[in-house]
Amino acid sequence: MIKINNLSKTYSTGAFTVPALKGITLDIAPGEFVAITGASGSGKSTMMNLLGLLDRPSEGSYLLDGMDVSNLNDDDYARLRNRKIGFVFQAFNLLPRLTALKNVELSMLYAGTKHEERRKRAVEVLTLLGLEDRLHHFPNELSGGQNQRVAIARALINNPAIILADEPTGALDSQTGLEIMSIFQELNRQGTTIVLVTHELNIARHSRRILRMADGLIINDEEIARPLDAHNEIQALREKGGRA
Amino acid sequence: MNIGELILVAIESIKSNKLRSFLTTLGIVIGIAAVIAVVGIGQGGRAMLMQEMEKFGTNMFGIWVNYRDGESFRLDDLQINDITVIKENVPQVKYLAPASYGQMQLRGSKGHKSVQVIGTTADYAQVRNLETVWGRFIRDDDAAVGRRVIVLDERTALKLFGPGNPVGKKVMLMSNSAVVVGVIKSDSSMLGFNSQQIAYLPWSFLSRLNGWEVIHELQGSASSKEEVEAAMNLSKKILERRHHAPNHYYAYSLEQEMESANKVTGIMTLIIGCIAGISLLVGGIGVMNIMLVSVTERTREIGIRMALGARRKDILVQFIIESIVLCLLGGFIGIILGYGGALLVARLAKWPPLVSGWTVLLAVGFSVAVGLFFGIYPANKASKMDPIEALRRD
Repeated sequence: MIKINNLSKTYSTGAFTVPALKGITLDIAPGEFVAITGASGSGKSTMMNLLGLLDRPSEGSYLLDGMDVSNLNDDDYARLRNRKIGFVFQAFNLLPRLTALKNVELSMLYAGTKHEERRKRAVEVLTLLGLEDRLHHFPNELSGGQNQRVAIARALINNPAIILADEPTGALDSQTGLEIMSIFQELNRQGTTIVLVTHELNIARHSRRILRMADGLIINDEEIARPLDAHNEIQALREKGGRA
Repeated sequence: MNIGELILVAIESIKSNKLRSFLTTLGIVIGIAAVIAVVGIGQGGRAMLMQEMEKFGTNMFGIWVNYRDGESFRLDDLQINDITVIKENVPQVKYLAPASYGQMQLRGSKGHKSVQVIGTTADYAQVRNLETVWGRFIRDDDAAVGRRVIVLDERTALKLFGPGNPVGKKVMLMSNSAVVVGVIKSDSSMLGFNSQQIAYLPWSFLSRLNGWEVIHELQGSASSKEEVEAAMNLSKKILERRHHAPNHYYAYSLEQEMESANKVTGIMTLIIGCIAGISLLVGGIGVMNIMLVSVTERTREIGIRMALGARRKDILVQFIIESIVLCLLGGFIGIILGYGGALLVARLAKWPPLVSGWTVLLAVGFSVAVGLFFGIYPANKASKMDPIEALRRD
């Protein structure tokens, strides 16, 4: 799915050059659930931007879904972002003037999907995420968890190769965060490849592989034999809440 | 993303900021309204003028003394023999009549009135397209026999004799009397050529009343529109030769008058067109300014759209379309206001409002052009944004 070889990224600000990534080699297979963690400044955001084709590497190669994308132009990047990558952001990044339905349709709009088809699929995916009665609500009429689910629906809508989630629980309370993680885990069980960027270890431990970054390098690559199960955690929380 | 979708996106965004959008388009509204009103009024006025002039027949021309170049009028400058000679020698001249002007007190059975009198011949009715209501116009044999006859216009007839046919009745002018032989239709012309009350006398009769022979002006018509130029120039030449007075006469035609009228309205249109142009320019700069603000405000939106797969071109087109839609909106309001203005002026001036499809098309074209031109820079700025930076912005 993703094959990165000796990828590096250097930012230059005037006279200074700041290396953000210092030659990373990494394979992510289809169906994996990978968490990238690290302190701020460790390079995980840069990693995320490169994986998401929002930025270009300074050196190294990047194969996405079998295609070398290191040397494509802006338009190709846009097209690949549209077809291959689904973004989920910390701040949801929904357009405030559009309803949930329209927000989800947006990705398909740029894919050139016909209107009826767009409507049909958006309703389907939103229903799958339990938002069938929130289709025509605007983001400011929805809770944080609901907004993040709309954003996940939007990320899923074009059947991307990977979902890139950047601190998706960062703006949510812990129980809502778990609900979102439970959605990701369910999606992953159904075969969706997910790359999660987070600095919270508790969240990272829901994935099946944790990459720890520091100073622009991966310092630890660990398979998680028994990831946390968000669904069970929610149950436990509920029971505890019930007892108290 | 197709154009229809982009237009919808643009409308959404304009709707979300109604007051700002309206204020922004005000410059465009004023510019377009000015263009539409001015062109509409101008075209209507011109059409009216043409219509009025057509009434006289576009073949008409006239000759008088060249006052423009400082020549002064002598009593014998135009003589009745000149007319005979011109008509014999210039085949392009179909009718030619003398006009001798004066003011006279007329008295009839029911009242009296001071009117303009014109001493002329039968041809005058043909030259000026006069319509008779009762009786007849002056005939050539009236002059020859020295009949003391008079032709009144409708309003004068009404004043002197009350309603009804006055043919055969007697009119007193000064200490003389004349018999009414005809009444011609009064024309309520806009341009005021015929709005005065007029009585027509055989030229020879008027000369007798005055005690001297004088012709102030010759009025004629050519056999066709194309021959007006030749008819008037050849007639003028003959006069110059017969009176040994080069450059003493001045010939004019309705064609020329129309042209100079057109020139005047053309200049006015140009001036107001310039004002409209400046207004559109200022309006366009306003649109650009607001679009720049909009691009800055919506940086995050641009980032999101890019992350979701919008190409730079999609963003560019989105903002250009928004700018065009904004200007078109102003354009449409301007067209309505301008048309209203033209209608109002036309109603007051009693001429047909004429806002042609071309004018509207032109206005729409201008709106689109302004939107395009002033939208390019902000849209380009939006499309050049770095998606990472844009996503990070609040």
